[in-house]
Amino acid sequence: MAKPKISSDWMCGCAGCHMSLLDMDERILKVVELAELRSTPITDLKEPDESGVDVGVLEGGINNSANEEVAKKMRKRAKILVALGDCAVFGGVPALRNFCGVQEALQRAYVDAESNEPGSQIPNDPELATMTLTRALHEVVPVDYNVPGCPPDADVIFYVLSELAQGRKPELKDELLHWD
Amino acid sequence: MVQLTINGKQIEAPEGTTVLRAAESAGIKIPTLCDHKQLTPFGGCRLCIIEVQGFRVPIAACTLPVSNGMVVNTETEALKKSRKFILSMLFSERNHFCPFCQVSGGDCELQNAAYHEEMTSWPMQPGWNKFKVDTSHPYYVLDNNRCILCRRCVRACGELVGNFTLAVAERGASSMIVADYDVPLGESSCVKCGTCVQVCPTGALIDRSSAYQGHIESMKDIRSTCTGCSVGCTTTLRVRDNRVVRILGDWDGGVNRGLMCEVGRYKLLNDQRPRLTTPMLRKNGKLEPVSWDEALGAVADKLKPLAGKNAVAAVASTRLTAEALTSFKELFAEHLGGTTVTTLEEGINTAVLGEVAAELGSFEGKIDVLRNADTVLVFGENLVRNHMVAGFMVKRALPKGARLISVDGEASDLDELADIALKPAAGSLTALVKGLSAVVVKEGLGRTELKLACPEKVIEKAVKTSGVPADKLAEAARTLAHAVSPVILIGTGVTSQRDAEAIKAMIELAKLVGAVDSERVGLLALKGKSNSVTAAQLGLDGPFAINGQKVVFAALGDDVIPEPVAAKLAKAPYLVIQSAYATPLLDKAEVVLPAALWSEQEGHYVNLDGRVQKAVKAVRPPEGPRENAAVLGEIALRMNMPVKKDWHTELKERKSSVVLSGI
Repeated sequence: MAKPKISSDWMCGCAGCHMSLLDMDERILKVVELAELRSTPITDLKEPDESGVDVGVLEGGINNSANEEVAKKMRKRAKILVALGDCAVFGGVPALRNFCGVQEALQRAYVDAESNEPGSQIPNDPELATMTLTRALHEVVPVDYNVPGCPPDADVIFYVLSELAQGRKPELKDELLHWD
Repeated sequence: MVQLTINGKQIEAPEGTTVLRAAESAGIKIPTLCDHKQLTPFGGCRLCIIEVQGFRVPIAACTLPVSNGMVVNTETEALKKSRKFILSMLFSERNHFCPFCQVSGGDCELQNAAYHEEMTSWPMQPGWNKFKVDTSHPYYVLDNNRCILCRRCVRACGELVGNFTLAVAERGASSMIVADYDVPLGESSCVKCGTCVQVCPTGALIDRSSAYQGHIESMKDIRSTCTGCSVGCTTTLRVRDNRVVRILGDWDGGVNRGLMCEVGRYKLLNDQRPRLTTPMLRKNGKLEPVSWDEALGAVADKLKPLAGKNAVAAVASTRLTAEALTSFKELFAEHLGGTTVTTLEEGINTAVLGEVAAELGSFEGKIDVLRNADTVLVFGENLVRNHMVAGFMVKRALPKGARLISVDGEASDLDELADIALKPAAGSLTALVKGLSAVVVKEGLGRTELKLACPEKVIEKAVKTSGVPADKLAEAARTLAHAVSPVILIGTGVTSQRDAEAIKAMIELAKLVGAVDSERVGLLALKGKSNSVTAAQLGLDGPFAINGQKVVFAALGDDVIPEPVAAKLAKAPYLVIQSAYATPLLDKAEVVLPAALWSEQEGHYVNLDGRVQKAVKAVRPPEGPRENAAVLGEIALRMNMPVKKDWHTELKERKSSVVLSGI
């Protein structure tokens, strides 16, 4: 039987969750023994297989229309979708700008910031993604597993991936469950 | 007793117990958030829901009284699912960003509850409403974004402290914790006791000085006694890396049961005075840093030849430990034969009590009487600003129907709180107290055999000398006499007058109205500092004056020097200062010996009601300062006059107005 396929991507996140994934060190060899790692943001393949993957892992919240597309594509192509890290689970740090709203955030970042050149403007190239309120993954697509943490420990990520690779349901509790 | 079954276990509980407490006593833990063992149950968080046979829906255990034959289940699959959902709703409601909160990672009861119920996400986003963050307070920050509206802070501020500053404004999702009529906390009626911060289960109330200093599990919690005043509250010192990071009230502590005031919780950690770090000797007119050996040698050489000639005067702080005070007395009064050996307080709040006790024996009770008092008469003390924990015990009884009578010639915050406030003219106190007794006798309300030949004359004299209207005097007397469990507190405004007659009149009044009888002693003097009682017991309560002595030794500890004493010390011919902090008197000192702080030395303190309690050495002093008792002992040793007396025995030498306990 073919090994299950795992794909990952990141959206509005800091990449910390993927760094934490790498922190599992040599255990990654165990993971690739159990499953086939397909696309990730840090390897050659960048998109999940059109023919579908078994497990899709998404880091980061949804910040703009481009992220939305990534989220929807992964949901469509993955049998099981995992929200990895606080940003994917509830919005995380980037969600703090929701308290100001999109316009104010753009104004501050691109126009008012002290380090900006005078006359700076909010970019409005039609090819650019449109910014939205930062949303948790579950606000855009149905999520099968939420893995909180900022970032989740390497132990947690290893546990989740290896359980899913073996067709089991990971249960997060005790040392594996932390929100910070 | 009520019989019920919880999780199949047969349990017995007194009527009126809640299912939550009954379960606890049987070792069954039900998850809670808004519950607190010292506060009235609120039933707001819904986390403690349980299934009761015959009940249609799950119900909160914290507000449900037990009943006979009840069958309760606290752990079913349905309950677990519900509790997980309840928690996820709590997280959905406000802005719970765990990653950068100072209590995340073990110190947050909300987070711990969520982990316990294995909550990995929540269904809805909060409305991205910015809830107010109030940073106006000097000691803490109130962040409403993190609040779960458990109302523990509101309940604590009211039920435990009696201050009622905190309340909830608005309704539903807009509910907010506010101070007074929604004013900034720093400008409100808050007395800065910090009880709200101690009870907050989340990171909503942020203690400024200890936030982000590390998780509780990385710190050591040490039980100690507060040295802030004579009340002697039991504290928990939270220590990390040789630093007291936070002071908390001990919920099981003797006098205070968790309560603390601004002094004990915050001021003790925020002393801004510069620390003395090295012994110094004046050489050629200038204070030079020297070794301990040289400094102690200089002191011993100076003192030894003066032994027995009454040539050495000595004054100590009443905040020194019993051990230090005992050595102090033995060295200066006995070995060196000084007659002016006393404290900075000069017995101002204890001498008169000792005088009366020598005649009448001990007459004061324990502060616990305040817990059940239905009427409190306070003579001469602004309990809102001084001895505040005692004040909390009085204030919180008022909404329950307790009456407060304040008798104080000075302006006091109690004037507004009291049901009856008498403002007698200066010097009229004894007459006033006798007038109160006379009213009681005249109206036949007395519980003793006291007879007066002409009560009307006593009342007339009281009214004339004090200026208090006759009807108010009578009202106060009657209120006191009708009380079931009255308590009379003798404040520092009275004891500082050093009038034994006034005290005796108060004792008589106390017996007359039943505040003092064979069952209870509802009479207590508030006194002054953490070891004023010890100093009194050692006889260190005389006046301080330099009368030709050649050397003056000032063991100041970490105290502040009262002006009159400071002025006298400035004129000392040869001044030795033993102090933790710098003082303007350094300019006049010949020898300076740096002292350790209250948290840097172990020692015993006797509080206002005679409890002997221990303050522990929680941290090592910095390089330089040494413990007071050790230095005094060393000086004595160098003069071949070692100090040997044991404070346990010395405490009992004199007749005390309080009953010593816990020796």
